[in-house]
Amino acid sequence: MKRPGPLLNLLAGLLVGAFMLSLNTTAGTRSTSSSAAQPADTTRESPAATAAPAPTQATSSPSPSPSKIPVPDARYTGRTDDDTSAVALTLRDGRALAYFCDGRAKESWLRGPVDDDGTMRLTGKDGSVLNGALKDGRRIRGTVDIGGGHHAFTADQAEKPAGPYRATATVRDARVDGGWIVLPGGWQVGVLTRDGEPAPAPRIDPETGAVTVDGQRLTARPAAP
Amino acid sequence: MTVDPNAATQGFASPPPGHRRPHPARYLVPALVAGAVAVALGVYGKVHDPAGTAFNLAGFSSSGAVKSWLATVAVFFALVQLVSALMLYGRLPGPAWSSVLHRWSGRAAFLVSVPVAVHCLYALGYQTYETRVFWHSLLGCFFFGAFSAKMLLLRSERLPGWLLPIVGGLVLTALTIIWLTSALWFFRTFGVTT
Repeated sequence: MKRPGPLLNLLAGLLVGAFMLSLNTTAGTRSTSSSAAQPADTTRESPAATAAPAPTQATSSPSPSPSKIPVPDARYTGRTDDDTSAVALTLRDGRALAYFCDGRAKESWLRGPVDDDGTMRLTGKDGSVLNGALKDGRRIRGTVDIGGGHHAFTADQAEKPAGPYRATATVRDARVDGGWIVLPGGWQVGVLTRDGEPAPAPRIDPETGAVTVDGQRLTARPAAP
Repeated sequence: MTVDPNAATQGFASPPPGHRRPHPARYLVPALVAGAVAVALGVYGKVHDPAGTAFNLAGFSSSGAVKSWLATVAVFFALVQLVSALMLYGRLPGPAWSSVLHRWSGRAAFLVSVPVAVHCLYALGYQTYETRVFWHSLLGCFFFGAFSAKMLLLRSERLPGWLLPIVGGLVLTALTIIWLTSALWFFRTFGVTT
């Protein structure tokens, strides 16, 4: 057998692939059983910062892992106080992605970091700003400033399929960007922007994310930071 | 005019049984393996229920960012591949170690691309819901098939001189389009984030 190098390449790739797949499979089961078990802790927090929220967390939800996770990964959905719009947030690894949507024309995707004390300031490309704070680990209370408007909102922790969804595609030469908020109980709002023109979005199937836009079937995916 | 009109095609179809003609298995085995790899990846991506999420790396905001940067690293090494291959074939002046450079940049590009592909197939699957995604899925499977063929062909000697450049060029082209339809799209849609 001459030149074993190329075969070793393929073998190494196969091994790496199998290793990653096994990591994924184990990680997948773990994240469904407990969303708080995240080994990646890149931010080094001071003891004083973690000491403050620790007692309240211990009473509300005992964490299965002894490592201190300031902000658990979760989704939050809710409405604005004036009941005109909906807000959905996904928190993951100390970062948040939020979607604000009135179901007709006004929408914004906002992103930013979540501080260890649960406060966050998220910004959107259109200049909108979300200021929020995590209360009791189950609720985010905050405000959104968008397009000259000021909206206070409350978003409760929610389970799948509730949360923000997004689909981008090109349909019949038009650039399509859809955002949805699925609320608990099957309610949903969405805005579909075709070449910069926002309009109410067709309903998505919350289980699969399937949606039909102008006769073409798209898949909206859960949005995460 | 004594030439039989059929003679030319006859001679072309059945060349004299030369000693240098390699056994057809030299081409058949890589081609079959390539097809099997590509089809197997596609079938797995289509049949397997996409998990939606998978691993993330510390320091990155999303798995999309991780994959985009890994893919960009792979494309960088692929460009090194192109340059070092041109050196090997004498089209560019190159150092004596250009073959070592070619081998190791290829290994790096391939190994970096594997986790990206695993995530794609595991979390997203083979999808066809829009043009970009369709070509990305198709060429993603094709890439690993073509790469397998390239590796297996390297083990043969006395190949036609044009074969390896063609297969290598296919691998490079596939990887480039894969990058254009994924990482570039990601950076343009979500910004160049880490």
